[in-house]
Amino acid sequence: MQLKQSLLIAVAISIISIISWELYWRSQGYHPTLNDEKALWAITRSKVEDATKEDVIILGSSRAYFDIQVDEWEKLTGKQPLQLASTGSSPLPTFHDIVNNTSFNGTIIIGVTPGLFFSTTYPQAFPWQRPQSKVDFYENRTYAQRLNYRLSVPLQKNLVLMSADEEEWSDDIDLKSLLKGIQMGHRSADPIMPPFYNFGDVSLPRNIKMMERTVTDTAFANSIIKVWHFFGKGAPPPDKKSTMAFFMKDLKRFKEKNGTVVLVRCPSSGGVRMGENMGLPKADFWDDLVSQANVKTYHFEDLEQFKHLKCPEESHLSAKDAQYFTRELAKIMLNEGIVPNSKSN
Amino acid sequence: MLFNSLSFLVFLILVLILYYTKLFSWTNKKRMLLLASYVFYGLWNPPLVILLWISTFVDWSAGKKLAIEDDERKRKAWLILSMVVNLGFLAFFKYRDFLLDNFTTVVNSYGYGYQSKPMDIILPMGISFYTFQTMSYTIDMYKRQTERAKTFLDFALYVTFFPQLVAGPIVRAKDLISQFYEEKKATTNQFIWGVFLLTIGLFQKIVLADTFLSGTADTVFGSDKLLHGLDAWIGTIAFSGQIFFDFAGYSTCAIGIALMLGIILPDNFRYPYASLGFSDLWSRWHISLSSWLKDYLYIPLGGNRHGIIRMYVALMVTMLLGGLWHGAAWTFIVWGGLHGIYLILEKLQKRYVPFKITAWNGIPLAFLTFSCINITWVFFRARKFDTAWNMIKSMFYAQTEGAKILDTFTIVKVSVLIAILFLCHWFMRDTSMKDVSLKTKPWVLGVFWGIMVFLIVIAQGSGEQFIYFQF
Repeated sequence: MQLKQSLLIAVAISIISIISWELYWRSQGYHPTLNDEKALWAITRSKVEDATKEDVIILGSSRAYFDIQVDEWEKLTGKQPLQLASTGSSPLPTFHDIVNNTSFNGTIIIGVTPGLFFSTTYPQAFPWQRPQSKVDFYENRTYAQRLNYRLSVPLQKNLVLMSADEEEWSDDIDLKSLLKGIQMGHRSADPIMPPFYNFGDVSLPRNIKMMERTVTDTAFANSIIKVWHFFGKGAPPPDKKSTMAFFMKDLKRFKEKNGTVVLVRCPSSGGVRMGENMGLPKADFWDDLVSQANVKTYHFEDLEQFKHLKCPEESHLSAKDAQYFTRELAKIMLNEGIVPNSKSN
Repeated sequence: MLFNSLSFLVFLILVLILYYTKLFSWTNKKRMLLLASYVFYGLWNPPLVILLWISTFVDWSAGKKLAIEDDERKRKAWLILSMVVNLGFLAFFKYRDFLLDNFTTVVNSYGYGYQSKPMDIILPMGISFYTFQTMSYTIDMYKRQTERAKTFLDFALYVTFFPQLVAGPIVRAKDLISQFYEEKKATTNQFIWGVFLLTIGLFQKIVLADTFLSGTADTVFGSDKLLHGLDAWIGTIAFSGQIFFDFAGYSTCAIGIALMLGIILPDNFRYPYASLGFSDLWSRWHISLSSWLKDYLYIPLGGNRHGIIRMYVALMVTMLLGGLWHGAAWTFIVWGGLHGIYLILEKLQKRYVPFKITAWNGIPLAFLTFSCINITWVFFRARKFDTAWNMIKSMFYAQTEGAKILDTFTIVKVSVLIAILFLCHWFMRDTSMKDVSLKTKPWVLGVFWGIMVFLIVIAQGSGEQFIYFQF
């Protein structure tokens, strides 16, 4: 058996094929970026354990994630916020975790995306299960998993072929996603979800910026809009009663710990905003939440600085507008004394 | 730590460097391997290494006494101590909630209204494997079928040897401890073959099990609908392939890694899906467990030495307990029971309707066996009886009205892959990978190997846990 010869051939083929694969996807416009995964979320969550009264945590769904930029916030306030918002998620499980499992009593900014905030408290429902799985991962992660993630970050930062997001984007290039993209007829009675392409770049510390392509390529932005409309049509009715009750209980407890909560309604526009106005009218949902929560609140439509903002794909701000939004929001909160200015300190 | 992870890659490279460096004596190399094995286990959950230490210490002490003690009562007491500690670990960590649930159900059936609270204690990874392995040493010592380990270090390494610690193969003392007595070093060919086996194992796990099949099995078994017959069958054969590739993949990795260190571990799988009947299956599937059950359960229960009825009872008890070994749930017991029934029916067939296996009836018979195996997997994979029963109904009533949840490409993908798997097993059933590789041109083997590495890299995997870790 000439195994040495086989090994040399295998090594040569592996190197050539892997390099070719990387170069091919780069030639298709891909660039290395971090995957938005549980392990990354858990690293940020672990920082909550040592966070002080002066720290700020951001919770919410993708709007709070895209629209509040960590670096921009830090420039103004002098303190890096802990970004724990998650795509397609209700903020309630994470808020519950922080209130009940940590001693944190600083400021929590909660992004309120009505369709997700008021969606459900049912543990198996997607908007609940997704953030809860991150909380569970943080609680149960092994030292090996922590080490794996530390080792994978340099690879993710430098290699396109490491793209395999938990979101399972239609344009992910891992083998499973490529196989998933192959269509042969349609036997299921369920409607087909339109392709959902990645439109954000994730970086350390956990932060996401909208890809420039979403702003410049209308067809690409429209493909994302189609997905929001698909979700909107298929969404079950909101469960305001239980979500509000769940939130109020945790809010009360957090206030008792002397913590501060700020509710922020980030911008949406176009058809998505219309759909929200119809399905979750501001007067019935947001205004009721504001009156019951009795905390500082900011709705983009109530503030001159934000009224004009338009979302390229109707739900999130471009990287440039997100920086503006963050800056202005931070300025307001600093002026109103809600967050301390660690810079001046 | 998982074989399919970056941390393991770094860990293995460090271990190999330290193992082959000339700085250490053989004893120090073994110490390093032992320490590495504890790190390998501890990176999952450090406090649970204590269980390994207790198991090691108790069985080392029991083995030591069994080697010198002549008083049969005292010998039995040492054996019982070992069994109580190891089976006690299993009972407490693995079966406690199951026993409590059943106790509650029985008590409440008499109207007591007893409320039990599950303790939700973590199940130590691989506990069923290392407790069985270490018990085999004590039992063999008791039966005077093996030599006492020469040193505590050799014994501790036998219990903890990282390649096979958490999911086997379950190795007997006489097969592994003696290999630690003299310095081991892989030859160049052994080392390269070990790397090849590691590649094959990772390919089975990352590409075939996790990328091609797990999603389909999860979708089908996770559905709460009554499925179309085709979807139910595809989900079942997908799981059939997934569990084979997952577990055989782990064993192949373990054998390959050990070989890179110059240590030889026994085969754990020999193309089981081309088995001709169920006795054949259990000599090909999870061989180290089935031989353990045969030697330490079936034969002590009487085996075939006390008449046919007693043999059938022994067979059934062995298979039921074999099912329970896999998991603390009635679905696993049913899985074991079905295998017990299959084995009994096969023995009856051989007694009353014997026939010769020829080239003509071989493949259909293997296919029939494979189909029957698939039915048992439904109970193994389903978390609840309702799910299993719905699946069986869909598979046999061929529900045309059932929900179609799989897309056409998934059906084609799974069917083709499982057909290839079955045919590969059929053509390989009387040979081995080593024999085939000897007949294969080096460049062909190299190209095949390179393609596997490429597919592993582009599949990446999210470090999915091996299914058998939970057992």
